[in-house]
Amino acid sequence: MKEKKQTINAQEQLKQQEFQQEAVAHINSLYNYALHLTMNPSDAEDLVQETYLKAYKFFNSFERGTNCKAWLFKILKNNYINKFRKNAREPGKVDYDLIKDFYHTIKDVQRDTTEAESDFFHSLLHEEVYQALQSLPEEFREVIQLCDIEGFTYEEIANMVESPIGTVRSRLYRGRKLLRAKLEDYAKKHGYNTEFGE
Amino acid sequence: MNCSKAKVLMSAAIDGELNLKEEFELTRHLDECPECRSYFQDAKKTKIIIRERIVRVKAPQNLVESIVRMTNITAT
Repeated sequence: MKEKKQTINAQEQLKQQEFQQEAVAHINSLYNYALHLTMNPSDAEDLVQETYLKAYKFFNSFERGTNCKAWLFKILKNNYINKFRKNAREPGKVDYDLIKDFYHTIKDVQRDTTEAESDFFHSLLHEEVYQALQSLPEEFREVIQLCDIEGFTYEEIANMVESPIGTVRSRLYRGRKLLRAKLEDYAKKHGYNTEFGE
Repeated sequence: MNCSKAKVLMSAAIDGELNLKEEFELTRHLDECPECRSYFQDAKKTKIIIRERIVRVKAPQNLVESIVRMTNITAT
């Protein structure tokens, strides 16, 4: 009996160790995604915490060798839908004040990347790019975030958003087209004659 | 291939998500169309700017600790 208990504990310890290596490693990405979904640091923390709690509980069902980050994102997205979606903003409505406030809340927090110079867009402010992205319809914003910011493959994104790969591809194309038009507007304000050549 | 179709393919090309046939067709079009070549360069930059200009923050330390603690508690 005692031996059996020890075996269970050893198994649990192994699971815990693996979970911390595989899953907890993605906490920054999850937190950022949660922030962009909820636009509220406290809600984002709750969402991430619940995601990890669920992920740990069902860690045995995680298919080893597949992308753990994608698995966690899917759990987080489902949690978000269940918990926050009812109160989410109406589709198509963009609250620019909320975006501005939110941006100021997070921008003083320690940054996670180093910024690289990038020619013709260099006039664009972080806030403007964020605003442009947030102003896109959700179905477009979501795939752009998952692809361009988080680096998921189309297959992983398709699985997360529960749509065919062709739909992901088409949403990315259409979303980027809209985004580009919005970024061009900002660049024009900064005195750039877009047709975005340098 | 016309320019509209090429633009759709460019979006996937930037992500490395074209199959060989599509890649071949797009390359052939780009060889012949300077406007699309320029569009393609800008499209690549749009992806880069999103990645670079969207602020990423670190998860708060208390959140990290609480999650590690949570796995410890659940494990005992």
